[in-house]
Amino acid sequence: MASRFRHNLLLGLSIFVLMVLVLAPFYWIFSSSIKLPQEIISATPTFVPHSFTTEHYDKLLGESSFPTYMRNSIVVAVGTMAITVVLSTLAAYGLYRLRFPGRITLFRVILITYAFPGVLLLVPMYQMMSKLKLVDSLTALVIVNVTLSAPFAVWMLQAFFRTIPRELEEAAALDGASRLGIIVRIMLPLAAPGVASIAIFAFITSWTEYIFSSILIISEANRTLPVGLAGIIGQYQIDWGLLLAGATATTLPVLILFSLVGRNFVEGLTAGAVK
Amino acid sequence: MRDITHDEAVGGRRSSWRGEWLRMETLIGYAFVLPLMLWLAGTILYPLIVSVDLSLQNVKIIGSVGSYVGIENYRRAFESPDFREALKNSGIWVLANALVQTILAFAAATILKQRFRGNRIARVWIILSWVVPTVVVVIIWRWLLSASGGVVNYLLVNTGIVDKPVGFFSTGNMAFLSVILINSWRWFPFNAVILLAGLQRIPEELYEAAAVDGATAFAKFRFITLPSLQPVLFVMGLIGTLLSFNVFDVIWLLTGGGPSGATTTLPVLIYETAFKRYRLSQAAAMSVITGVILLLFAAAFIRFLSPEADTEEA
Repeated sequence: MASRFRHNLLLGLSIFVLMVLVLAPFYWIFSSSIKLPQEIISATPTFVPHSFTTEHYDKLLGESSFPTYMRNSIVVAVGTMAITVVLSTLAAYGLYRLRFPGRITLFRVILITYAFPGVLLLVPMYQMMSKLKLVDSLTALVIVNVTLSAPFAVWMLQAFFRTIPRELEEAAALDGASRLGIIVRIMLPLAAPGVASIAIFAFITSWTEYIFSSILIISEANRTLPVGLAGIIGQYQIDWGLLLAGATATTLPVLILFSLVGRNFVEGLTAGAVK
Repeated sequence: MRDITHDEAVGGRRSSWRGEWLRMETLIGYAFVLPLMLWLAGTILYPLIVSVDLSLQNVKIIGSVGSYVGIENYRRAFESPDFREALKNSGIWVLANALVQTILAFAAATILKQRFRGNRIARVWIILSWVVPTVVVVIIWRWLLSASGGVVNYLLVNTGIVDKPVGFFSTGNMAFLSVILINSWRWFPFNAVILLAGLQRIPEELYEAAAVDGATAFAKFRFITLPSLQPVLFVMGLIGTLLSFNVFDVIWLLTGGGPSGATTTLPVLIYETAFKRYRLSQAAAMSVITGVILLLFAAAFIRFLSPEADTEEA
């Protein structure tokens, strides 16, 4: 009885520590973003806001370029998502549901591109984009982000396609269904959680990408959120209220999307690594 | 003469249908994988060739024409103390991140494996730090660690652990430690989720049998948990190495590679050389050298993760 109590106490305590470690920093930026400026910079931090104001958010949405950054990020993320979903779903279906010579090799090639350090592409990618006259365009970012997200998306889909029995397709084919009919009516609905997960994965990859965006985008009007926010950090006098509000507002879309498919997403993530 | 059984009839139809089906599979298979392969060839293979070509020239600013200088850029890279320093820093960076993240991930996975109310939610939301943009992570930690008004310093001073605020980014060692811990904070939940999946696959009977034999907690960990997790740890180590090697934005946005080069890893140096000092060819040569080093890891990675190892695919 005593040992059971000790076990529960220890468990409760460790869960608490873990949650504080993971979540408290997020609470801290959110709660600070609604404080008055003098409370934000006060020498004695307040864990529960004593003041309440929306002035940082008003400034963020009204006076700063944040709405422009947000719009650019959404355009790039949606574009990346659409192309990644099409390319990866096709490839994953081919690799995991069909038998043809050379598929192992192709699988390896895709895997190696996932493991491939993107930083090595920095210089040649800039060179290539400048030849294509795509520097300072959102198109360039979509192109890069698809490359960064598609290989892992294929890998994630493996977990979802694997669970669908082959007999299902064969039975449908025997009944005279066409290949396209099978894919659209049988495979896609069954793989839908996987497709949703990779869509979110592509969106998040694009939403968080900083390096390529920082070199490929030059003008203020084409900046995405990470680069835009980094610009605010770089200023001589940091406006913490504005920055914290910006960080909160940037986190929000990811939170919403992630809450929709979080569980499938995590399952897909782990299934690739743990067979 | 007896009637053909139902089974034989279906079997006969099935085999001719199968031949056609398989021929079609090959064609459709290529057609489906081709678009992605073309995309990757255009955005990875081609730039890589450009990179090697560029590394043999003396191009500085984009668009300017260079002339071929042979292996000059490579020689210069190896002779440069900056490059050697960055190589060393990258090594420390990767190892330290692996160590800290694995320990934290093990602890977190062990906790999340327990039954408690809300553990399903906790298992999903623990990776919040991983899905949020790096720049947000950077803002959070600059805010928390700030020397004036930062909550961490406030707590440290008020509990009497230190007498004056700590400058987390002001000295070389401290700055390096800070970026390593911040990056680990960001990534350990990702590893924890993967470790948790591995832990859940270990049959509970193994632990029960060990308990009957009177095994200590350490013995269970040493002789059941660790061996069972070995493949997972191996994959994690490989992916972790490649991914954390690649990390650039956390360091760049927190310290800019400083103070005086203390946190300059290879990606930071490559970025700086190309886009701050405008020596494109020099940066390309560094990229190629780095790529060759990482190729060894990548080779092990694909060898281990190919579907061949999978019996179902045979």
